[in-house]
Amino acid sequence: MAYPYRHEKETPMLSRGFGDPRTRTLEGWKELGGYTALEKALKSSREEVIEEVKASGLRGRGGAGFPTGVKWSFMPKEKKGPHYLCCNADESEPGTFKDRELLRWTPHQVIEGCLIAAYAIQAEHVYIYCRGEFFEATQVLARAVEEAYEAGLIGKNILGTGADIELTVVAGAGAYICGEETALMNSLEGRRGLPRVKPPFPAAVGAFGRPTTINNVETLAAVPHIINRGGAWYRGFGTEKSPGTKLFCVSGHVRRPGNYELPLGFPMMELINDVCGGLRPGRTLKAVIPGGSSVPIMSAEDCETCTLDYEGVVECGSMLGCASVIVMDDTTNIVKQVRRMVDFYAHESCGQCTPCREGTQWLSRILVRIENGKGTEEDLDTLLELGDQMTGTTICVLSDSAAAPVASSIEKFRDDYLALIRRGERVGAA
Amino acid sequence: MSDSKRSTGRDRAAPFSNPGWAGNTGDFKLTEEEVRGDEYVGVRRRDGGHPSVAPTLPYILDEKSPDAPIFEGEYGERLEKILSRYPDSRAALIPALNLAQEVRGHLSSETMREVAERLELSDAYVRGVATFYTMYNKAPVGRFLIQVCTNISCNLCGGDEVLAAFLEHAGVEMGETTEDGLFTITEVECLAACGFPTAVQINSRYYENVSADDVPALLDRLREEAG
Ligand SMILES: Cc1cc2nc3c(=O)[nH]c(=O)nc-3n(C[C@H](O)[C@H](O)[C@H](O)COP(=O)(O)O)c2cc1C
Ligand code: SF4
Ligand code: FES
Repeated sequence: MAYPYRHEKETPMLSRGFGDPRTRTLEGWKELGGYTALEKALKSSREEVIEEVKASGLRGRGGAGFPTGVKWSFMPKEKKGPHYLCCNADESEPGTFKDRELLRWTPHQVIEGCLIAAYAIQAEHVYIYCRGEFFEATQVLARAVEEAYEAGLIGKNILGTGADIELTVVAGAGAYICGEETALMNSLEGRRGLPRVKPPFPAAVGAFGRPTTINNVETLAAVPHIINRGGAWYRGFGTEKSPGTKLFCVSGHVRRPGNYELPLGFPMMELINDVCGGLRPGRTLKAVIPGGSSVPIMSAEDCETCTLDYEGVVECGSMLGCASVIVMDDTTNIVKQVRRMVDFYAHESCGQCTPCREGTQWLSRILVRIENGKGTEEDLDTLLELGDQMTGTTICVLSDSAAAPVASSIEKFRDDYLALIRRGERVGAA
Repeated sequence: MSDSKRSTGRDRAAPFSNPGWAGNTGDFKLTEEEVRGDEYVGVRRRDGGHPSVAPTLPYILDEKSPDAPIFEGEYGERLEKILSRYPDSRAALIPALNLAQEVRGHLSSETMREVAERLELSDAYVRGVATFYTMYNKAPVGRFLIQVCTNISCNLCGGDEVLAAFLEHAGVEMGETTEDGLFTITEVECLAACGFPTAVQINSRYYENVSADDVPALLDRLREEAG
């Protein structure tokens, strides 16, 4: 049996090469039609490339879901100096594990997407910023980049079209916050990874003070498919407002966790019960975090009618984020898991903003107190108040992300908190 | 395909014996080398290979040499390649620190000072940057740095127990190094392998689907590797 497990409902486009070592090589990638999109793009005008991506409706896969073509069109049309493209491969949002797979199974897909995007925004240099921990994935990517350079696909006069694009792979050194776009740029420049105040936006003042676009690995990996087959074809997948396929990273209490590529708009319960093989025998669903640790937690009831597209998840009270579906069954100790997530944010706060630096620490301390059966009911109000003060008051949204699971879990699982506070009873062990 | 056929072939007490593949290739046909890309990547060159990839960190070396020169010979070439990829030399700082740690195993004050001097940055600046990032070891670590993910997805599937098992079987406290200098064990934040819990990073390599029961065998395997 080959990796990965594939479900018949999957629509493999980006994940087509997962588990096939040949797709790492230039030769193997070309057999699958690799680099034909690059050639096609370089023979079109950059406006045409942007229009095609706009027509596809592709939205950023890094979490915010901003339309990619529109983002590219923010770059200055008149070039007065260097432009840069950053590929965000810093994947560190708890629950998310798709970019690492894309990098290590289909590195050429990512490179091709980067080159097309760079052409469209007139970037002369692409930096792929890889998470420092990704030694293996980074080395696979690095080998692919070397191969592509040797084949004249990167560098001067690409494929004889006169286009010059350099590409450099860089490795971070461990810091979740470097996934935030402006923190990533600071890190790339050899600084501490501190988010910058916006405006100015990266399209005006980005890396090295120059106009810069930053996109997630999965976003860029979708671009070659859109150029090859057209924006209208891409719209054949997914919903009107959330077109295309998405890699769903499913983790937690399901029988078959893993990455599944499905059209956006796929029903959440079908993903959990059918694609992922359901829960363990005799267990019931308690909660789901649909988009990585930064989004509000959903109760089992909220999930029943939820469809996994940007709008569908918002309607059910959360956000799609990076489509990192964390599934929790009835053995889950919600208070403990929320505290664990808050500890993560407390550890990763860059410390620039007081509400975030102090707030995450306070949230953690109060949650630990409750977890140990020493909390009071007023603590819950204090947590909510703190969360309010941490939301919308800081340079980046890490602070908001730390508050989101606290507020939503108190709203939806108040009884779990109260059992601990009133009777010292822990609900769930996991 | 039936679920029973998808078992990993190993008897696990843990509730989740999911079909792992890196570090646990189970009944998949791929070899570990194929899964990790070792065969395709080949032996990475210490001079960094093509300049476009020189700023990446090829290895955590097994043998650390705290006194070895950091920017000479092949490593000197690598630094020159790194510098050629950026509009200014400050940007070479993180790759240069990565390189220094690759050679020496940790970043001492002296190492940071040398990096500062080479890149013409102030000592305090370099220290400020180096201390921001968690992957820089400020003190020597064991031959194997074992980092266990206890973040939410792994935690739901027993990450805390896996960490406890490592500490127990190696006989150390968190963050400390065993007396034989082999193991330093710490907790780590999400490693982006959440679908393969528990994820453990040991030096530059990921081990996935690790359960508490696997820990003694895993430690034995590392002891064997160390010879
Ligand atoms: C705290 C924080 C962490 C982030 N981490 C990541 C990350 O690891 N990877 C990523 O692609 N985007 C991350 N983002 C989102 C980026 O800032 C940015 O929106 C994204 O890379 C843009 O790419 P896209 O338009 O293709 O989605 C993070 C944002 C914040 C606020
Ligand atoms: S919100 Fe937190 S992480 Fe973001 S800039 Fe402020 S202190 Fe740093
Ligand atoms: S939560 Fe453990 S790897 Fe993501």
